[in-house]
Amino acid sequence: MSENIKATPSPKTPAAKFGGAGLNVGIVVAAILTVVGLVLWGIQLSGGMIQTNMRNMDSWGIYITMFMFFVGLSAGGLIISSIPRAFGMKGFGGISKIAVWTSITCTCLAIGYVVVDLGGPFRVWELFVYSNLGSPLMWDIIVLFVYLILSIVYLWATLRHEAGKVSATALRVVSFVALVCAVLVHSVTAWIFSLQQAHDMWHTALMAPWFVSSALVCGTGLVMIAVIALRAVGYLKLDQAYLVKMAKMLGAFVCVDLYFFGCDLLTEVFPQGEGAGIVSMLVSGPLAPFFWLEVIGCAIAAVICFVPQLRSNAGLVIAAALAIIGIFCKRFQLLVGGFQQPNLDYAVALTPTAVTNYTGGMDAAFTGLVYTPTMLELGIVVGVLGLGALILLLGLKFLPLKPVED
Amino acid sequence: MAEQKRLAMVIDTKRCMACNSCAVACKIENNLPNNIWWNRVMTAGGENLDSPEGTYPHLKMMNITVACQHCDNPACVKVCPVGATYQDPETGVVRQDYDKCIGCRMCMAACPYTGVRSFNWEEPQYHLDFAVGDADVSPHQKHTVEKCTFCWHRLAKGVQPACVEVCTARARYFGDLNDPESEVSKLIRDREYMQLLPERDTHPSVYYLV
Repeated sequence: MSENIKATPSPKTPAAKFGGAGLNVGIVVAAILTVVGLVLWGIQLSGGMIQTNMRNMDSWGIYITMFMFFVGLSAGGLIISSIPRAFGMKGFGGISKIAVWTSITCTCLAIGYVVVDLGGPFRVWELFVYSNLGSPLMWDIIVLFVYLILSIVYLWATLRHEAGKVSATALRVVSFVALVCAVLVHSVTAWIFSLQQAHDMWHTALMAPWFVSSALVCGTGLVMIAVIALRAVGYLKLDQAYLVKMAKMLGAFVCVDLYFFGCDLLTEVFPQGEGAGIVSMLVSGPLAPFFWLEVIGCAIAAVICFVPQLRSNAGLVIAAALAIIGIFCKRFQLLVGGFQQPNLDYAVALTPTAVTNYTGGMDAAFTGLVYTPTMLELGIVVGVLGLGALILLLGLKFLPLKPVED
Repeated sequence: MAEQKRLAMVIDTKRCMACNSCAVACKIENNLPNNIWWNRVMTAGGENLDSPEGTYPHLKMMNITVACQHCDNPACVKVCPVGATYQDPETGVVRQDYDKCIGCRMCMAACPYTGVRSFNWEEPQYHLDFAVGDADVSPHQKHTVEKCTFCWHRLAKGVQPACVEVCTARARYFGDLNDPESEVSKLIRDREYMQLLPERDTHPSVYYLV
């Protein structure tokens, strides 16, 4: 149905003739952001990570938050396109190639955020030479690379299938393997945190399934926004029924994610022990803005997804955006929350490298948010996002990702 | 016969008077860069350093010196992706190889005793323009994690860690817990002791007599 491709472009976006000036401008802007990010990363490496706000007692920050977030975002595309195929169900109107391309982009970004977090990026080769296969971080590196390669293979197999070179059965096998790997990627990322006994907030068996559900929420949200945007600029045509189907899925995923959150909070607060501190830190403590933004935003997203009258294009974009923002807030709560409660709560003299806000002593350091990023960190975060936009747009320009048939 | 040792430190909090000699000796012996302290004195109970717990006249004060606990079940060793932090099989000492460390800081997140591991957040800088301490100490490296080594370079020469050597109150003891006749074994057999965060199941090799 190649005539579908010539669907009417939206009047609001004149800059979007594909392969036209608008896309080229986008690519140039993304490339500039990427270069700026690289320069800032060079500054971080040469001047030292003292320029970040990470310190000994809060040794991870926005980079690892973004890493978690993008591992999650990478799920949606692959899962949306592989579930129908793996189980022989009706799909989503041929958007699977676009969806997988968003997955590949997000996986690259997740790897990028780990790399900018490393103190010694020039030593990454050691990961493959001195691999400690017992480390969850090592598992994650392996699974992430396998996932990236499988996503690319899956995209390639889809294209070859459309050209009649790869059988439907073979494609189905690839999609099933990719699906298993997607679930593994999220579980292993969760295990980086949940297998550590050091931080109460992280040490919970629920973490892995919860990461999978969060990944489904923000991944589906991302695909919805991408598809609506691409339809608006005339890149593809998609029946509204498919979007409604996706919205219903998003609503269901959001509910599962909130349910997991509720289960975890109840389990922490009920014994009125150490865990009660975690709940009050989230509900009314320094992380409360992130907590309530997530809970209320996700609840609104679910309502929009379930009420037919609200499922307009704008409504769906708002729902998807709220879901994505909500999951980002969850990632931030999880990362900072892990460091927000000191295990050794003894008075001690603090040096500037001990903790982010070291001047007022232990109490002052942990009263507000223990960690907030510096401008340099935010700049590098934007730079990596620019790289993502670059990959995404180059794909749209040069790869045959438009729907051919369902 | 080379028997497997479990090197451990016993610190008598009844004798410790928070003079900071151990922290300073550690700093000098290991030529620690500015802002880095492998061994720190903490005050238990009070709001500030050197402030007692409770209300007058029911006051009490306890000082705890905290460095790497050289756990028998170290959380850091399990998570290091490249094996830069590892447990010496013959002594149980948890060691750190600066040349291998990729600076991912996974060990710092995994260690329940947050703060005993230090990251060189910048090129190591020193107040003195010459190195101090023992010449056999590994040079400190930018963007790598470091921590107490139980003075590995001194153990190799058959002497005790610097902090034990200088303790003015003779509150620190060092020895092999697998040897029932060692001073440390006798002390934890005879005296009441506590350990930091035993509920985390890391089995620390530092014991505090109380």
